[in-house]
Amino acid sequence: MKKSKAEIIGMIINGVALFLIAFITIYPFWHVLMYSISDSQRASAGGLFFLPKGLDITGYELVLKQPQLYNAYWNTIARTAVGTLLSVILTAMLAYPLSLPRLKGRKFLCIAIFFTMLFNGGMIPTYLLVNDLHMIDTFWALVIPNAMSAYNLFIMRNYFQSIPASLEESARIDGANPITILFRIILPISTPTLAAVGMFYGVSNWNAYLDGVLYINNNSLQILQVYLRNLFSSAGSGAVLSGIQGISDAARVTEETLKMVTISVSVIPILIVYPYLQKYYTTGITTGAVKG
Amino acid sequence: MSIQTRPLAVPKKRGIFSYMRSEYMLYLLMVPGLLYFLVFKYIPMYGVSIAFQNYNIFNPDNSTWVGFDNFSKLISQVGFQRALYNNIVISLQKLVIGFPIPIILSLMINEVNSRNCKKFIQTSVILPNFVSWVVINGLMYALFSPSMGGIREIANFIGYTGQLPNLLTDVDSFQSVIVWSHVWKNAGMGTIVYLAALMGIDDQLYEAASIDGAGKWRQLIHITLPCIKSTIIVLLMFRVGEVMYAGFDQIFAITNPMVNPVADIIDTFVYRVGLQNKQFALATAAGLFQSVIGLVLVIITNAIAKKTDPDSSMI
Repeated sequence: MKKSKAEIIGMIINGVALFLIAFITIYPFWHVLMYSISDSQRASAGGLFFLPKGLDITGYELVLKQPQLYNAYWNTIARTAVGTLLSVILTAMLAYPLSLPRLKGRKFLCIAIFFTMLFNGGMIPTYLLVNDLHMIDTFWALVIPNAMSAYNLFIMRNYFQSIPASLEESARIDGANPITILFRIILPISTPTLAAVGMFYGVSNWNAYLDGVLYINNNSLQILQVYLRNLFSSAGSGAVLSGIQGISDAARVTEETLKMVTISVSVIPILIVYPYLQKYYTTGITTGAVKG
Repeated sequence: MSIQTRPLAVPKKRGIFSYMRSEYMLYLLMVPGLLYFLVFKYIPMYGVSIAFQNYNIFNPDNSTWVGFDNFSKLISQVGFQRALYNNIVISLQKLVIGFPIPIILSLMINEVNSRNCKKFIQTSVILPNFVSWVVINGLMYALFSPSMGGIREIANFIGYTGQLPNLLTDVDSFQSVIVWSHVWKNAGMGTIVYLAALMGIDDQLYEAASIDGAGKWRQLIHITLPCIKSTIIVLLMFRVGEVMYAGFDQIFAITNPMVNPVADIIDTFVYRVGLQNKQFALATAAGLFQSVIGLVLVIITNAIAKKTDPDSSMI
């Protein structure tokens, strides 16, 4: 079909507008990365629009010498790994029985879980609970209180419901118990939804910081996001930066460069993995309708 | 239990006990998950009862019931009134600006023919969704700081060399920074949802319409929008239910005393009053006020959605 002149002009305008939007989303990241590898003095003089001013990675050398940063990084990796694994397993174990029509009490349980999406006790009662459970200042405070989300549970249950019942029936005839059926039959054919739910849990674990502020006072358990937040808060940045600037050749690196390097260091792993993760978003979302 | 000999067809009249006995493993599987929801979701719901008490921190069992005293104290507090006002103003702006943008964006992306271009744009707009609010706060600093900001560099690049305001510390502009950075972070997520819905539309509808002489615009009005109507309604419902939650993650990351008068929302109020000043009862009352109104909003919007389009109600 031949396109009219108006349609072609429309397509060009549309394309240009979309590239502008893509620019707006990428530019802040780009600017931070370019600033972080620029020569500190020249960057602060201005004129860094698109390409770095000079090339100097002293900032990275200084920031990566920080034991506190390593520690925070390690804590974030640990909570993400442990938290995601635990969350996915718990969610699958609950989602599978809830996907079976023969389960008695299924409707009641689903409504009770769904209700937690609509109403919650709020920050203070949750804090007091975590406190009563003696989890404050323990690693588990980062993993357990947000271990499961009703939303992810329903994504998984909906996927399990779409698996033909005959598969489960025949395994039952062969004498498999529900635990074997879940781990040996259902989960191996549910990789798209496991990946999607795992990604949702993983990303929210990696990015979470409120639990790190609310439940953790102990510096050895500080997570990356809290470290970063302190760096940008007026009160905390002095302490973090003075640690870095105590190092001998820090004089020629500005505070700005150090901040940009720290953001880069925390964001680069995400920039590397997210293009692979994003396709699971669609999977997760399209099976995510709560109703049913 | 011997599962092997269990008849496949469930006999019609079987007691609940024999049912439980034969299916106890299913229930066993659910125990950890159900325990989680009971302990971490339902116990805090019961915990809101301290909003009606004169809560004694050192000896909680000694607390006395005071009815709605905490709520009347709360409503008369200037700090809470300000937080409530900011909360509503910020989240309504987020709703009005942030809701239509993903719809428009997905329609625009859907018009792109080249697969690679489509992919590139999708991948770009979803990027901010993967980083934390703390990082976004850092990016905003890198963008708006008058000493190093990207905005300054862009302005210089276009040829503007005058003084730029620091939007991050200016009371007049700070709410816009909050609203637009929220839109910027979350637009990609919504766009992907709508794109998935757009993919589901049958191409034959468009072919038939163009044979009948319908232009792009009429196809949009008569085919595209009706086809994604229920997606729009469901997402709108979720967003309306969130109106009481103005974005604690986001605003708490940008702690900045200068903008507190316009950035203090209910959640930051709860944090300050409850966890910093240890007025647990008052803070819990504020939180309860927030979640009850949120719940009512969800129920109302759901009822409206059910009336207009039975497919798109949530409950």
